[in-house]
Amino acid sequence: MPISAKAFQAWLQGAAPAVSTADICRISGIKRTTLAQQLVRGKVAETTLVSISRALHRSPLEDLSSFENYAELAGRRQPPTPAELVSQIATMDLLRAVIGRSEPERGGRGSDGIPPAGAALSPAPHATAVRNWVDAIDDGELRHRVSAATGVAPQNYSAQLTANRMSPELAIATARAAGVGLTGGLVATGLMTEPEAGWPPGAKQSALDALSDGELTALAGERLQALGKALRRQEQEQAQTNKIWENLG
Amino acid sequence: MIGILQWTTLAVCGIVAIARIPSALRGQNRSVFFVYALMTLVILLSIEAPYMAVDRALGGTNLANLVLRFLIFAAIFLLGLGIARGFGAEDAPRRITGPIGMVTLGTASLVIVVVFLMMDTAGSSTGLVSLATKDAHHAALVEYYGAAGRLYPAYVMLALLPAMLRTAASRLPGLLRLSAGLMVVGTVAITLSLLSPVIPPSLGILRFIFNYTAVLCLILGLALIWLGKARASRT
Repeated sequence: MPISAKAFQAWLQGAAPAVSTADICRISGIKRTTLAQQLVRGKVAETTLVSISRALHRSPLEDLSSFENYAELAGRRQPPTPAELVSQIATMDLLRAVIGRSEPERGGRGSDGIPPAGAALSPAPHATAVRNWVDAIDDGELRHRVSAATGVAPQNYSAQLTANRMSPELAIATARAAGVGLTGGLVATGLMTEPEAGWPPGAKQSALDALSDGELTALAGERLQALGKALRRQEQEQAQTNKIWENLG
Repeated sequence: MIGILQWTTLAVCGIVAIARIPSALRGQNRSVFFVYALMTLVILLSIEAPYMAVDRALGGTNLANLVLRFLIFAAIFLLGLGIARGFGAEDAPRRITGPIGMVTLGTASLVIVVVFLMMDTAGSSTGLVSLATKDAHHAALVEYYGAAGRLYPAYVMLALLPAMLRTAASRLPGLLRLSAGLMVVGTVAITLSLLSPVIPPSLGILRFIFNYTAVLCLILGLALIWLGKARASRT
C-alpha cells in the first residue's frame, strides 16, 4: 500500500518546511506532474518519498518507517544473511570472481592475493536481483506463505519475479515470511541503496570471499544457466517477431 | 448506421491499400498489399451504389456478385497464408495449401459457380436480395450460395485460430499481441456470420455487423503489424 497523501504532506511539512513543491521536485528529480497526480489520487509512491528523502540528505529508511504502514521497519534491525548478500552480487561480478580465483596470472588474485584494483562489486540491484533474492531466502515454502499472508496469487508473484519487480509492501511481506531482515527486498528492488538500508559497507564482498571455490563456481553456473535461458527466450521471441513482420508487415 | 460502417471500412481499407503502394512497388511483401487491395474491392462491391454501377457495366446479371465471392477467396487465401507463415508453426501453411485446404476451396468455388448458374440472376441486386424474393426455390439457392461463400473464409480463419490465440497469449511485443487479438475477433465474427441464415430478419443488422467487424478487425490487425515493423526499423 502506497503512503497516504495526507500523511505524506504532513511528513513533508516536517522534513522541509520552507521548501516549495517546485524546489522539492527539482532537487529530487521527480516530475511535477507525477507528484501532483499522486497527491490528487491520495496515494504517494514509496519511490517518491525515498527520492525526496534522499535529496534532502535524510535517511530514507527512517523516513519510510515513520509512516504507519511501514512502522515495522523501525523495529528490529536484522543484518542481511550471507545468502542475501551474495544474491545481490551481479552475475558478471560472480563470473569475474570465478576467473579471478582460478587464473591469477590473468589479472586474478589467485587463492591468497589481494583483489585487483577497480574490481569493486557493482552496486545493487542487478538485472535479476529480485528473483535471486527470493531464491536466496526461500526454504521451499516461502512463496506459499507469502501468498497466504498477502493474498497475492502465486502466478502473479512469479510474474513479478520474472519482470524483476516487486512492490515495497510485498518485498517486506516476503522478508517477514522468510524471517530475514526486512530491508533486503527493498535493496533487491532498488528502492534503497545498500548503505541506505543499513547494510554494512563491504558486506557483499566479504560474503563473496567467504564462499568456497566450489560454492562460488556452482552459484555462478546456476546464474549463467538462468541467463542463458533468458537470452535464448529473448532470441526466440525476436525470431518469432521477425517472422511475423516478414510475412505480414 | 450500416452506411457509416460500410463507408468507414472502405475508407480504412482504401487508405491502407494506398499507403502500401510504395512498398509494394519496391517489392516488399506484395501479398500483403494484395490483401488490402482485394479487401478494398470487396467492400466497394458490397456497397449498394458501386455494386449497381459495376454490375450494370458487366451486363446486369449479378456477375459482379460472383466476382466478389472470388475476390474474397483470393484475399482470404493470401491473408491465411501470411498468418500461417507468420504466427503458425512450421506445418501451419499446409492447412491452407494442403489437401484439406484445397478441397475446401475447390468445393466452395464449385458450389458457388453451380448455384449461380442455376439461378435466374437477371436484375442487379446487392447481396442478391431481390433474387431471394422471387420464389422459394430462389430463396433456398441464395442461401446455399451465401453459405458456400462463407465456408472457405471460415475454414481458413478457424484453421489458424490456435496460432492466433497462441500469439495473442505469448510474451511477444504488445502491438503484435494486439494484432493477433484483433484477428481473433475477426475470426469470431466470420464464424458468427456462418449463422446468417438463422438470424431472424428483425436482427438483420447483425449480419452487417459481423461482416464488417470481421473485415475491420483483420485489416486493423494487419495494419498494426506493419506499424510495429515500421516503428522498429526506424529506431
